[in-house]
Amino acid sequence: MLRFIVRRLLITIPTILVVITLTWGLVRLAPGNFYSGEKKIPPAIEKNIRQKYGLDKPWYQQYGRTMWGILRYGDFGTSLKYEGQSVNAIIARSLPVSATIGILAYLLALIVGVSVGSVAALKQNSRWDYASMALAMLGISIPNFVLGPILVLVFSLTLYWLPPSRWAGFPSRNVILPVITLSGIYMAYIARLTRAGMLEVLRSDYIRTARSKGLSEKDVVVRHSLRGGLMPVVSYTGPALAFLLTGTVVVERLFALPGLGNYFIQAALNRDEPLIIGIVAFIAVTLLSMNLLVDIAYAYLDPRIRY
Amino acid sequence: MRAVKIRRFSPGLLLLAIIVASISCGRSAKNEVFFGRVVPPQTNILRYVNGDEPESLDPSVSSGQPEGRIYMALYEGLVEYHPKTLMPIPAIAEHWHENDDSSEFVFHLRHNARWSNGEPITANDFVYSIRRGLSPELAARNAYLAYYMKYAEAYNSGAVFVRDSKTNQFVLEKDIAGNPAQKTQPLSERVLAHGEAEYKPAPEEPKIADDTPFHQFMHSPGRLTLPGDEKARSKQIAQNPKLQSAVVGKEFVPVSADDVGIEAVDDYTIRISLSQSAPFFVGLLAHQFFRVVPQKVIEQYGARWTEPDHIVTSGAFRVKAWKPYSELVVERNPMYWDAANVGLDEIHFYQSSDNPTAMNLYKVGEADAVLNHTVPIAWLDVVRPKKDYMDGTEAAIVYILMNVTRPPLNDLRVRKAFNMAFDKVTYSQSRRITKPLSAFTPEGIFAGYPQPRGDGFDPEQARKLLGEAGFSVTKREDGSYECKNFPVDQVDFTFNTQSANKILAEFLQAQWKQNLGITVPLRSMEFKTFLNVRSKLEYKGFALGIFGADYMDPFTFLNIFYTPGGDNGSGWWDQKYADLLDEANSNLDKHKRYELLAKAEKYLLDAQPIVPIETSSVNWVKKPYVKGMYPNAAALYPWKFVYIEREPSRWDYGIPSLNN
Repeated sequence: MLRFIVRRLLITIPTILVVITLTWGLVRLAPGNFYSGEKKIPPAIEKNIRQKYGLDKPWYQQYGRTMWGILRYGDFGTSLKYEGQSVNAIIARSLPVSATIGILAYLLALIVGVSVGSVAALKQNSRWDYASMALAMLGISIPNFVLGPILVLVFSLTLYWLPPSRWAGFPSRNVILPVITLSGIYMAYIARLTRAGMLEVLRSDYIRTARSKGLSEKDVVVRHSLRGGLMPVVSYTGPALAFLLTGTVVVERLFALPGLGNYFIQAALNRDEPLIIGIVAFIAVTLLSMNLLVDIAYAYLDPRIRY
Repeated sequence: MRAVKIRRFSPGLLLLAIIVASISCGRSAKNEVFFGRVVPPQTNILRYVNGDEPESLDPSVSSGQPEGRIYMALYEGLVEYHPKTLMPIPAIAEHWHENDDSSEFVFHLRHNARWSNGEPITANDFVYSIRRGLSPELAARNAYLAYYMKYAEAYNSGAVFVRDSKTNQFVLEKDIAGNPAQKTQPLSERVLAHGEAEYKPAPEEPKIADDTPFHQFMHSPGRLTLPGDEKARSKQIAQNPKLQSAVVGKEFVPVSADDVGIEAVDDYTIRISLSQSAPFFVGLLAHQFFRVVPQKVIEQYGARWTEPDHIVTSGAFRVKAWKPYSELVVERNPMYWDAANVGLDEIHFYQSSDNPTAMNLYKVGEADAVLNHTVPIAWLDVVRPKKDYMDGTEAAIVYILMNVTRPPLNDLRVRKAFNMAFDKVTYSQSRRITKPLSAFTPEGIFAGYPQPRGDGFDPEQARKLLGEAGFSVTKREDGSYECKNFPVDQVDFTFNTQSANKILAEFLQAQWKQNLGITVPLRSMEFKTFLNVRSKLEYKGFALGIFGADYMDPFTFLNIFYTPGGDNGSGWWDQKYADLLDEANSNLDKHKRYELLAKAEKYLLDAQPIVPIETSSVNWVKKPYVKGMYPNAAALYPWKFVYIEREPSRWDYGIPSLNN
């Protein structure tokens, strides 16, 4: 197990380096600059800006400097757009916002999704099953940029119950709508996964054995079938959580949240190279570690899996 | 069968019911006087949705409009914008006067201006701020605004003087210039004869003590400046034999901050010398770039001086808290010289780049005002009839550039035809928040400017002109037109991807097809890519142009075609046009100057490197209890005049007048 973890961690490092290099190259290929705006800048001023940020140096020097900062100090440099703000500080500041919304959304999705999915599986082909699966289908097919505005229209603009946007820390009433909007699709997906997984497990031999042993229905469901039935949900959790943690562009923009996703899209539009690289690297690390955690969790949940 | 079962248990139907209920609620709200909830706050706090995240709190650095609004709360300059007309009003300068040809200005500062840490603001602070703004190391994008000042451009671009090390004499511009009589020297460059009066006699003005060596330096003939970069310099020298002989054996001295045409005559007097006449210069000084910044704090903390713990401000407000990408909270600055007349205790600048998001906040009463261009077109029917909708012409224009360097648009007749074949009036009626633009400067925002008019909509004449240029337009049997030999593959309309631009593009395409029988292909691209293509003239045919004024004077627009580079983007440039502008700007009489500027504008319209399209409307909303905020043409608000009015009888019902 330990060897497996160490090996996986070692593979992570070159992967991240490749990701950073590719990002660096792609930003460079994109036309335009962080300082270009509707008004043309006189050449002399453009030269000053290029000098200030070292853009007048040959590309390998710029690449070397970027990589050296990252490898030696774990420092992604200073944002080009936001004068004097370090990329590390921006990530440190915006991550908690994205993570709060993301984790809450996933918890909500998990609680509702697993319960609904289990009920649907246990009462297969009942009215509950059809209703919940129909809702789940609806949840998957309604994108969050549709769900969000509908929720805002109903609960903020019409009923005046909840604020329509903006971040006011946690806990506050402001988190309710974004969390629901964000969790919708995950909730639906988890419900379907749970139902499918449970149905498969409920038909398996060891459940029949458990039942024939005379275990109570509660023990059969909670101790045996749920544990096995949640395997697909667990493998889904890894990437889902990674994306939720690192921010979701649509929901953060819709609700004007100062999260990582909002910064990311803006950084790309601004051609803010250090910020783009920093956020991409951060997302890559999160994704890889989440996948690793999922693999480890597998070993605990399924006795058949051994590394 | 299953569907029947589902219907018995239907949360979906419940949701639908709620939506229907809410929409019908929305319907019934149509009769309300204002848009959304109107509950005046109990505190004197203004919550303003300001648009994009500010790049920096350093006024010398950022060039955006959202930043500009924040800087107007935090920093003050020599002058401030008038809340309605945007003309300069006294700020830290109590009064000022200019010399006879508007090439030199003297400002007298008030003695009670203080930084937010209590220290006095003096003339040296302004000298420092402007020198810093111009320094190549700071690389400020707005530095070009100060290029009117003597040697400012030279210093900002790292240029050098040429000096004879033996005699200590500098090589002068006139030693090299091909034709010395070509341009009249501004007064600021002339050596004054003994006793010659540069300023009109103004007995009430305190007399400046003595002529300083710096003033004499400013009044000496302009020194020659050459590029600081050795390669560029050698190239320039090699091209000009006269220059070659002039610089031989001489040394190159970098132009320094001390050479820039601004001087602290004493602690409370500033003199600014320009290299040309610029009657609009005082108006320009209200711009964010010229606002005063604290030398001590900047030297202590470097780029981190704007952090909330360090920042020291000069304006009516100071920083209370900054949560990037969320809000910036500023509070009343008790040290401000006019603190007693500041109406607000705090302003909360909310960040939001999304229009519906901003409007939602406004509707539920969580924001008191929103930035310009925020009411979505689809909401106009509901919002415009309300008494809190703000309308007004903006000092910004939308136009179409034509690449005059390539056929077929190198032919004036073809350019004229495309202009005449586009019905601007119908177009702006369909856009609903714009006004048709027939000249190049926006109509009605420069009082007393005799604006010329370009050609109107005349498809008949357009077809005739195209025919004369060799592209005959014929009428088909079904009544539509076609232009068989027009090289459609040689033109397209290039614009940056944005829904509003797409509407324009499609309208344009339809109009030209209908009136000329020419289908111009559309080409949309991402914004920064587009800017690159346009400035390098890599587009074929037509490209979109949008320009917002830097200061309230027609020259800010006419300046676009003053040089072949910069914002020009059309390939059209004419010495006569530039000369007309020069002549106008060296004219002291305002009316005469406006007449000359109008003549230049007419000249530009006749050459037709552009198709003028529309002027924007400011298009925003504010709660009626927010007073002292006006829909002015630049969407910039001197916040010290804004206040919260709790008495409904004194609220704004409708658009407050921009007339004084």
